[in-house]
Amino acid sequence: MNAHHSSAMFDKNNVLVVEATVREFQWANPHVWIQIIIKDEANNEEEWSIEGIGINTLFRRGWRPNSFAPGDNIQIKFNPMLDGSPAGLFVGARFENGKILGKWDE
Amino acid sequence: MITLLKFKKYSFLFFVTLNLQCFFVFAEENKLPDWSGVWERYEGNGGMFDVSTTEPSDGMAGSPGVRQFPPLTVEWEKKYKENLLLVEKDRLPDPISYCGTPAGFPRLLALPDVYEFIVRPETTWIITENGPNIMRIYTDGRELPAENERWNTYTGESIGKWQDGMLTFKTVSMIGDKNTVLDRSGLTLSEQAEITTKIFKTNEGLLRAELKITDPIALHEPWHVTRHFRKLPANTRVFDYACAENNRNPITASGQTLTLGPDGKPIDKEIK
Repeated sequence: MNAHHSSAMFDKNNVLVVEATVREFQWANPHVWIQIIIKDEANNEEEWSIEGIGINTLFRRGWRPNSFAPGDNIQIKFNPMLDGSPAGLFVGARFENGKILGKWDE
Repeated sequence: MITLLKFKKYSFLFFVTLNLQCFFVFAEENKLPDWSGVWERYEGNGGMFDVSTTEPSDGMAGSPGVRQFPPLTVEWEKKYKENLLLVEKDRLPDPISYCGTPAGFPRLLALPDVYEFIVRPETTWIITENGPNIMRIYTDGRELPAENERWNTYTGESIGKWQDGMLTFKTVSMIGDKNTVLDRSGLTLSEQAEITTKIFKTNEGLLRAELKITDPIALHEPWHVTRHFRKLPANTRVFDYACAENNRNPITASGQTLTLGPDGKPIDKEIK
């Protein structure tokens, strides 16, 4: 991750893949954040914060301020935090219409 | 009548002289290379400054066990190893993590995001999108400021000259280990470092920067580092980089990088 801060808090050897609903997309410096709602097996909802890289580089890679919209149902891959906190480092996302952002190797 | 003729004669001479001056300025500008457009760093390794000596060769700056091998003095090798230990504990204080502090020179040659090189006969500016960094290299023939008129700054003081499309410049008075690192492996230089840099365009269209770094405190011999930049497509846009705009990763007094939730409160389960 090219960031202004360390990314040592993320478990880069572990990738979680979950079904989620987008609550908010924060398109702002220094990094994008995707706020998602994940349901557990008992249907309890939990909000997770997924951090991406900087918006300037993401724009040049095809992302836009509306790349994620509230209510979007997505599959999302991320490196979870080592301490189990509800946050992660963005790897990739697949939308219902098949659109993919980031890395999505099957 | 005679006075009027003299006026016309001198007006003509003035006109010719002015046009000749314009011609020479124009010719001088035309001798300068075209470094226009938007560029990005070519080397990877997450910003490791000297990728040629980085071990392991695919190691990323900030990852435990990743380091480079400049010709460090015994004192500076010890200092570097202390910082490498902090990296292993995720406690290296990287000044740019606090948002708003420039990376400084020479680290600004190894940043993510993009670059602009503004070339004029009198000055060349290196502007990094991942800022704040604006480096000015004066090529108007001036000398370095006198010792009592300069102090250590992030980008230092640079003067240089052009020859055959190559900009050669000397940089002094950088802050050094007081408040800069060269990359997130924790490598630093002292305030006494001096750098001679040559930048030119290669046959492949890359910009190549060759640095010769001397430092009587940190290095026992000159350290040679090469970095490259590749040009991005013509319509590439460059943007603001406002690090503090929505920084959800503040640093604690102990050097821990926190993660804030959307409510601005830390969501880390462990805050040490």
